Amino acid sequence: MEQVIANGLYLGAQYALIALGLTLIFALMNVLNFAHGQMYVLGGFVTYSIYGQLKLPFVIALICSGVTLAIVGALMEKFLFRTVIRRSKREESTMLLAAATAFFLDAVVLLLFGEKQRGVPKIISGVFVSDRVILPYDRILVGVVAIVMIATFMLFMQYSKPGRAMRALAQDRIAAQLMGVKVERYSMIGFALGAMLAGIVGGLLVSITGVNSGIGGPISIKAFLMVMIGGAGVVGGAIAGGFILGMMESVGLTVLRAYGDITYLVIFALLMIFLSIRPHGLMGKPWG
Amino acid sequence: MEPLLKFDDVELYYDHVYALKGVSIEVHEGETVALIGANGAGKSSILRAITGLRKIRKGEIRYHGSRIDGTAPDEIVRMGISMVPEARRVFPFMTVRDNLLMGAFTRTNKIEIQQSIDMVLTRFPRLKERFSQQAGTMSGGEQQMLVIGRALMARPRLLLLDEPSLGVAPKLVQDIARSIVAINRDEKVSVLLVEQNSRMALRVSQRAYALTTGKVALSGNSAEMLADERVRHLYLGGEI
Repeated sequence: MEQVIANGLYLGAQYALIALGLTLIFALMNVLNFAHGQMYVLGGFVTYSIYGQLKLPFVIALICSGVTLAIVGALMEKFLFRTVIRRSKREESTMLLAAATAFFLDAVVLLLFGEKQRGVPKIISGVFVSDRVILPYDRILVGVVAIVMIATFMLFMQYSKPGRAMRALAQDRIAAQLMGVKVERYSMIGFALGAMLAGIVGGLLVSITGVNSGIGGPISIKAFLMVMIGGAGVVGGAIAGGFILGMMESVGLTVLRAYGDITYLVIFALLMIFLSIRPHGLMGKPWG
Repeated sequence: MEPLLKFDDVELYYDHVYALKGVSIEVHEGETVALIGANGAGKSSILRAITGLRKIRKGEIRYHGSRIDGTAPDEIVRMGISMVPEARRVFPFMTVRDNLLMGAFTRTNKIEIQQSIDMVLTRFPRLKERFSQQAGTMSGGEQQMLVIGRALMARPRLLLLDEPSLGVAPKLVQDIARSIVAINRDEKVSVLLVEQNSRMALRVSQRAYALTTGKVALSGNSAEMLADERVRHLYLGGEI
């Protein structure tokens, strides 16, 4: 039992970090970023190249993943989403654009890094063993880094001036503008930040599960699941959704093992029932 | 003397329907000027034109003598014009404190910002009681005090108020009217006040413009307009 909880917490921390990035972009721009999983994959491959192939320290690789994705996110906002939002009032336009960028990134990653599953050497070896829990040290480290990042992000949003401006923008765009917030600049910062989070998780997890060019789509779908569970656009909801999905996956893989690979089948079925009762998720309000 | 704010023959359209047609108004330094008129007469459109939320099609808007039409809303705040928008628009999931800090978004000196917070809390003691409460959970009157305080946090030279009495309990309307007079007097801020409650607007202002379907129908000294037969008939509902 303790083992299942430990696995769930470790998974949940990663998932929460992915969901945070997605929900930030949604709250600020009302854009569902279908390319979130592809950003994760790109981050994974950056860390793979720098840590796995160039043999530079893992920390540097991780920073490079974050910076690369921040730049990609900023460029996508400035040249793609901003122009579409300016010209079109319909939400489908940005959804279509987001789907297109997902396919585009998929193709770019495939061209640059090929279709093979890639892994990197362990960042630290050894396994923590106690009576009831067995957890490799690298998973513990990755989990702790993820939780520290979540905390840092929350503190940044709550207490820094740019964080406050982004919250204001999410709650009332026009009022924020009247306070002197430059909407375009902060939309770009928010998009870059959300993409950066995806890239960092990709970099973190390449050290454990590896990465391949095909997992972007599934990761995006998981990220949507978490955001739907918690309530779109709410920070607390994204974190709750991440940990809930992590826990469900961990429990499912243990309990349902005897029945074959049906964990996600059960999770989707449960989500459909849940959403028909609470369509706005656990905390359906714009930002908290 | 050059007026603080000057509209010269301004036209503003929503799609193909005009909201303002040939409007010329002035606000001088230190004045409180009221814009009165029925719903849809164009009062709020004047404020939206000043803040840059709406583009004008014809005419000029000058502030301190230089043209400001076509300037983005976030630049207008930096020039010293603060807007209290219609329907209040607090940031509902932020505390009173964070709402006030958003008002000071264009400023950087932390000590001076804290002084401004103290000034706002002295002026609206209720906000002090609610300092850590989420703004969306407060009453309409309290939210109105918050948005006026929030606008003052930018240390404006010109304060634009859009329907501050709307949705506020009658008892609190008096309080808000008094604070508008006090702010104009103490903070040396000029005020442009848009109100459907014409009686209140004429009492707190020195001059007023009455608008009908996008044009200035009458203008003059507020006290005289309050006594004017035509104004009484058209804007004050007949009797006093």
